Amino acid sequence: MSKFLATFLQTYSSKIRAKSFIISTLIIVLVIFVGANFDKIIDFFDSSEEVTAVKVEGDEAFYSQFKGTMDALDSGISVEPYEGDLGSAEVHLSIEETAPLAVTLHSDNEIPSEQVNKIETALGQVQRSNTIMALNLSEEEAQRLNATPDISYDIASESGSADDGGSAPGDTPEVNPLNAVVFYVTVIVMFFIIINYASQIGTEVAMEKTSRVIEMIVSSVPPVTHLLAKISAMILVSLTQLFIFLLAIVAAVWIFDFGSIIGDLGLEANEQTATLIVYSGIYLVLGLVLYLSLSAMLGSFISRMEDLQQALLPVTMLALGGFYIAIFNIWGEADNMLVKVSSFFPLFTPFVMPLRAMNAETSQMTLLIGVVILIVSIALAVILAASIYRNSVLSTSGGIFKNLKRIRKE
Amino acid sequence: MTLELSGLSKSFNGQTAVDHIDLNVPTGSMYGFLGGNGAGKTTTFRMILGLLQPSEGHITYNGEKIDYNVTNQIGYLPEERGLHPKLKVDEQIRYLGQLKGMSKQEVDKRLDEWLERFEVPENRTKRIEKLSKGNQQKIQLIASIIHDPKLIILDEPFSGLDPVNVEILKNAVKELNSRGATIIFSTHRMEHVEELCESMCILNKGRQVVSGRIDEIRKDFGQKEIIIEGDHDISFLKDMPGVIDMKQIRNRYILKIEDESYAESIFNEIVKLGYFKRFQVNEPSINDIFISKVGYGI
Repeated sequence: MSKFLATFLQTYSSKIRAKSFIISTLIIVLVIFVGANFDKIIDFFDSSEEVTAVKVEGDEAFYSQFKGTMDALDSGISVEPYEGDLGSAEVHLSIEETAPLAVTLHSDNEIPSEQVNKIETALGQVQRSNTIMALNLSEEEAQRLNATPDISYDIASESGSADDGGSAPGDTPEVNPLNAVVFYVTVIVMFFIIINYASQIGTEVAMEKTSRVIEMIVSSVPPVTHLLAKISAMILVSLTQLFIFLLAIVAAVWIFDFGSIIGDLGLEANEQTATLIVYSGIYLVLGLVLYLSLSAMLGSFISRMEDLQQALLPVTMLALGGFYIAIFNIWGEADNMLVKVSSFFPLFTPFVMPLRAMNAETSQMTLLIGVVILIVSIALAVILAASIYRNSVLSTSGGIFKNLKRIRKE
Repeated sequence: MTLELSGLSKSFNGQTAVDHIDLNVPTGSMYGFLGGNGAGKTTTFRMILGLLQPSEGHITYNGEKIDYNVTNQIGYLPEERGLHPKLKVDEQIRYLGQLKGMSKQEVDKRLDEWLERFEVPENRTKRIEKLSKGNQQKIQLIASIIHDPKLIILDEPFSGLDPVNVEILKNAVKELNSRGATIIFSTHRMEHVEELCESMCILNKGRQVVSGRIDEIRKDFGQKEIIIEGDHDISFLKDMPGVIDMKQIRNRYILKIEDESYAESIFNEIVKLGYFKRFQVNEPSINDIFISKVGYGI
């Protein structure tokens, strides 16, 4: 067995069998299954019952007016006169005053808020038309009262002239909900996997170094081979976890009719969805490799486990920066200057490029340049990590900066 | 077919840790490295293994430079002990054995033999962190010799062990040597070098103070030790020519003389006093040589 494979398999198997891996995977799978049954859980706790009829007690004129308005609203609730009895899916509306309108709505169960809104809208319309009639306003006056102001915008922008019906301020490109979900899932998963696995590989490298076992290891295998085997194994561990999540999602779709929830939410693919999914996958893997290489390098700087978090701080801060830029720009002008510039900064690229992939105006070339930037950065990071690792792995001198200084000298 | 160190030096930030060492370790020999803390023993070992690049000089093993192509033939027990604390003993040895090119089956078979030999077969499936320091040390020694290396470098292998375990480990080292392995080890314990090694080297502040076959070093050293046991007062001997030092422990006197030629005149002096139970001329101990060359004891 090659030495690379020995380290690779040892790291992979020990991480896969670790309690932390098993527990975190189980929790996420559980969350996926709970999410797939979200509607059923909501229904379970929701004591409100769908109303089928409103029974009106009182004024005949009001009854017919209210019935007409409710029918016009297409509320799915029938309006009937109250005859002293009330079914389980019926509510009782008693009129106390007509001018101004005062009513009491009585129900034995909770009424879904959507239906309450419809009843309130209908009552509002009845009151408005009664007021108009009471004031003896003509139809024209009534229309003028209800008229909305006509505002036209005259804003010069780079993308359009003022007279082409230019967009209103704050009007942003429409975001496809499915693409937004794919983007959010990618960026959030990437962020958490990077933070989690960067810390794990940092710990792994630091622990080997501080427990001194590294001296036995590097007397058998070149440090660079050892480091690459460790990084590769950690990437495979994270991909294994992702694969399990993916399997759980597929299982949830099959078992729990998850597809209907997606349909209900109106998530539909558009022409950018495939591009987004493919590039998100690529950036996820490349981002992971880049951050893990850097974390391994930082882990090899330290001589005491207490210094680990401090050593990993740059990785955490950069991942957080990329994450925030991506998350806070999705609903704004997606291709603003910050997004454009940061998408070419290697440590932000994995987070920000998927955001640009959502935008149909972003060319394939731009997205490919992002991939090339990442691949070149990974190569540089691995070379740097390997050369630093080789020099720092046997050093037991104090702080990170002392180590850096010493490595630079050698 | 030897390990050869020529003009080997190493400096860190302008400070010399190892200063022009020249050594020749014959195949199949047992070679002792003696020296106080900071003498340069571990740095020398790390250079032999290729973990540190020499500032000057070169190292060859069987005429070839040592690199990762020959590390499968080398076993190394570092001074700073450490294993993966979360791994079980068999997992740890399997991993380190595989790094030396062994198959899992080979490791398992030899691991059973070594665990029996070190009288710890019950530890096979225990986590490293659960073992006592001494048992961890045994496991680490097994890890460094499981692949049956031709060259074994042991950096203070007996430190921190109780006398029983020192004996077990010493016997294992002797057996490995009798099977043809070349063994280099460093120690602070002179008696281990005297007992185990044919050749040795004393380092002091990175410099090679003395090296070669132990019997020749003793011979060349010149000084001898005389032990005299009897009921007569012989304290006057300390003023005789050739006597460097004299110690008295009850009715036993230990004299150091410049060379063996002074022994006869001392003998002639004491027989005048009558009966003595013992008059014995000894070779100098390694400890005497060390103190004489380095200027202090360890």
